[in-house]
Amino acid sequence: MNRIRLFSTTTSLCRAGYSTVEPVHHLVPIRKSALKPGYKELLIPKDDIRSVGYKPKNIQHDRVNDYYENQLKSDLMLRLYEHDSETVIGSKLRPWETDSPYKLYRRARKPKGFYRPQKDIKPVTFKNVPELTSISINLYSKEALEESWVNISTRLQIAQITNAKPKRIYNKSNVLPWKVRQGKPCGCKVELVEEDMTQFLSTLTELVLPRIRTFKGISKKSGDKNGNITFGLNPDDIKFFPEIENFQDLYPNLFGFHITFKTSARTDDQARLLLSSLGLPFN
Amino acid sequence: MFKQFVRFKSISNTNASTQKVVNQLSALSASRKQPKLIKLSAQDLIKHQTIQNAWKLYSDKLARENRKMLKEQYESIYNAMEELKQFPELFEAAKDDVKAPFPLEMRIPTDFPPNQPWIYNYEK
Repeated sequence: MNRIRLFSTTTSLCRAGYSTVEPVHHLVPIRKSALKPGYKELLIPKDDIRSVGYKPKNIQHDRVNDYYENQLKSDLMLRLYEHDSETVIGSKLRPWETDSPYKLYRRARKPKGFYRPQKDIKPVTFKNVPELTSISINLYSKEALEESWVNISTRLQIAQITNAKPKRIYNKSNVLPWKVRQGKPCGCKVELVEEDMTQFLSTLTELVLPRIRTFKGISKKSGDKNGNITFGLNPDDIKFFPEIENFQDLYPNLFGFHITFKTSARTDDQARLLLSSLGLPFN
Repeated sequence: MFKQFVRFKSISNTNASTQKVVNQLSALSASRKQPKLIKLSAQDLIKHQTIQNAWKLYSDKLARENRKMLKEQYESIYNAMEELKQFPELFEAAKDDVKAPFPLEMRIPTDFPPNQPWIYNYEK
């Protein structure tokens, strides 16, 4: 057999047989550049002090959380206690009957009165006392659609107020009369948890809301039926935040935003009770 | 007398309002704001981890105690209601859930409360 491969010969002719199994290394891409030793630091979990992304926790006394844990939790449990109450089962998808063979593989019908299945409402016990899980801030500015530099000011305003870096939000659809174009930056959002959340909450209830003259309280109609309550602040109200108030000449244009209190409460009534205990008024 | 030699004086073409936006952007960006990674010796690292573990144990213990207390409170509420079933009038009265929110005068405690903590002649 000719051992020297020539252009005139083919490889299959040189071999005794050939594999019918496709070679695996062609199918599974491995990014070897991500395995290089320089990236080893990034594998350290972020709560380890050796990690690059380490952020110290418990650096100050969290009085809102302490107040909730020591005082409000048992109060709320007592207020929301209902004797001999049972789980209220939310409306679920309705499967078809089995009387006809045509109904055999049909998709289940939508729940009555809703588009998607609803969660059950369990009675409040010591295990599921409602608590504030996060505060979500959403700022949409029309001005940013016309002048793109405006979005820098919106993000800086939110970053100053909340001590967290906001994310940009983008338009999702095209609406010509509003100058809305898909993919255009139009504001920012941020999700506050733990210490940032309680700090923002206490600033809001103690320094900002009491000084807004027109503020009559959060509307009782607000809520998404799942225990999340939203209200908005006008551009005029923003100047009461101490971070803005003392440097008003640095912020020539202020922007209003929406604040959503996300709670673990199952109904809006429970969420309202929780927020009223934390010092937020309702009308 | 030493005078620093300056080849070019940097001239910015930006006007004041543009400069303001540039400043805002630089305040927002992360460059030069990330604190340096602390280089701990092996001993310091062990110290740090020991403190962290101790704090974790302590806060776990507190949480466990709180949970236990809450459970006992719940059970006592339940037992009280069960006992009240002997007196239907009282039981019905106790079952009424009050929809009123918490009073707005209830404040989150502070480290430095005001000198006059309670207004005696308070009128709404």
